[in-house]
Amino acid sequence: MGSVISVNSLTKQFGNARAVSNLSFEVAPGVVTGFLGPNGSGKSTTMRMIMGLDTPTSGEALVNGRPYTKLNWPLREVGALLDAKAFHPARTAYGHLRCLAYSNDVPLTRVDEVLEIVGLTDVANRRAGKFSLGMGQRLGIAGALLGDPGVLLFDEPVNGLDPEGIRWVRNLLRGLAAEGRAVFVSSHLISEMALTAERLVVIGRGALIADTTVRDFTALNGGDAVRVVAPDVESFVAAVRRAGGEVDPASDEAVSVRGMTSAAVGELIAREGLVVHELTPTRASLEDAFMELTRDTVEYRSGVSTKSSLVGTGEERDL
Amino acid sequence: MSAITVDPAPRSSRYGLRQACRAERAKLLSIRSTWWTLSVTIIGTLVVTALSTSGAAHQRPGWYQGFDPTNQSMSGLAIGALAIGVLGALVFTSEYGSGTIRSSMAAMPRRLTFLVAKLLVAGSLALAIGEVLTFSCFALGHVILGSSPVPSWNLTDPGVLRAVIGSGIAIGCLGLIGAAIGAAVRRTAGAIGSYVALLFLLPLVLAKVPGNLARFTPLIIIANSLAAVRLQRGWVSPAVGFALLACYTVAIIILGSVVVTRRDP
Repeated sequence: MGSVISVNSLTKQFGNARAVSNLSFEVAPGVVTGFLGPNGSGKSTTMRMIMGLDTPTSGEALVNGRPYTKLNWPLREVGALLDAKAFHPARTAYGHLRCLAYSNDVPLTRVDEVLEIVGLTDVANRRAGKFSLGMGQRLGIAGALLGDPGVLLFDEPVNGLDPEGIRWVRNLLRGLAAEGRAVFVSSHLISEMALTAERLVVIGRGALIADTTVRDFTALNGGDAVRVVAPDVESFVAAVRRAGGEVDPASDEAVSVRGMTSAAVGELIAREGLVVHELTPTRASLEDAFMELTRDTVEYRSGVSTKSSLVGTGEERDL
Repeated sequence: MSAITVDPAPRSSRYGLRQACRAERAKLLSIRSTWWTLSVTIIGTLVVTALSTSGAAHQRPGWYQGFDPTNQSMSGLAIGALAIGVLGALVFTSEYGSGTIRSSMAAMPRRLTFLVAKLLVAGSLALAIGEVLTFSCFALGHVILGSSPVPSWNLTDPGVLRAVIGSGIAIGCLGLIGAAIGAAVRRTAGAIGSYVALLFLLPLVLAKVPGNLARFTPLIIIANSLAAVRLQRGWVSPAVGFALLACYTVAIIILGSVVVTRRDP
């Protein structure tokens, strides 16, 4: 099957600011495609243009070959979670979904089903304004699933969710893709995308940086690394270099080894009779690659390094 | 995920006004503020009519020279006019204020269909409430003024039914005007402020300039032309009043449509 979302030379200008710049990419069915970029890089604006909510300055976004506004039954073709609070606080969860169902002739039995899927059945008759951010997010996901669409868009779906909720969303997205649907999900967290997505569309300041698979992206940008803490770093580095590995210094006592698996590093240490205090496989290279790629494109940047606060490691996120 | 249970082949080939109206009706009736506003509209209107007709019930016989009991009974509509405009405005502003507009427009991306559905639902509710109000006001006035020396009057008398039904239609128009202002302005405070300015402040300002231009403003048309049986000199005729009110309604709806279709949510 070909792509179901097709973005062609999409550009959006807000006054003097260019939010999205000549952006082109495709989203295919059956896989989760991650839409990655720093905050303010144009991810939400792009998604809003795909949904017909923002009119592009130039270019076009097609869903199933047509502009969104020309779809016959929009909710049956595309489901979207664009922001967590797209409902009236005085309406109940059931009432909100019922109004959406009427608009696209979706039977009301489906409302009960999606409430069950997202786990809001018990609070279906509670006013949505009383919901926590996580519950609001689940209600938004219920709305996206309502028409059982083949194309799904999620803008930062794990925002406000607890670890259990994050895992639930991750499994839901993978499950939807496994059913043959196209799943397009934005995030500023590369570690989250590494766990959820198969393909990646990376943007910075509204322009395309990479359109690739997660595997290629990782391989291309250094692959996995092994962090080693040793009291005698110099001897360790010399041993690694003799064995053909590459070393990046991390601090006085710690180094990051690339081009060798953690098993190979361990065997090398035993063979050379070295002392190490720590040996940790890391996926930091993926984040480094992302930071490297988007360094010049981060719109708002603090004076100090934002590396640790912005991304975190994959291990930390996988709670 | 559950099995696919959504009917794969709906009856129509695509969503349209029927689906949109159904969704909008459900939206309007599923929030409590709608019922609050309707209650305030009805109670406020009837209370003012009761006070105003009571005041007119016990005068000296000579006072009733040229008295228009139907018009006196409709005096509560000033309150109804305010409340129905607020209700209309909220149809749009509550969506923009809460962010619901984005899920609504994702479900119904053809903006003109969306707007027309909202106007149809708001307008028909306002019209229904308007007729309930005017007939209730008429009945209430009849009871309260029944003991007074007012010569008897009935719905079958010339001009009375026209005034009662016509005033109800005017309330329907005000609901549409409120909704269209809401579509154009988007914010609740701004929309209600604009509506109050158009209805209540504009006639006051125009009264200061020569030429009695105030008679062409919506609320004055309703009070002195549409709701009047014994037409006083100096005000526009009911027919002209209706034509003007219809023009204002259409003009403001066009303004709202332009904003909704041109400006992204």
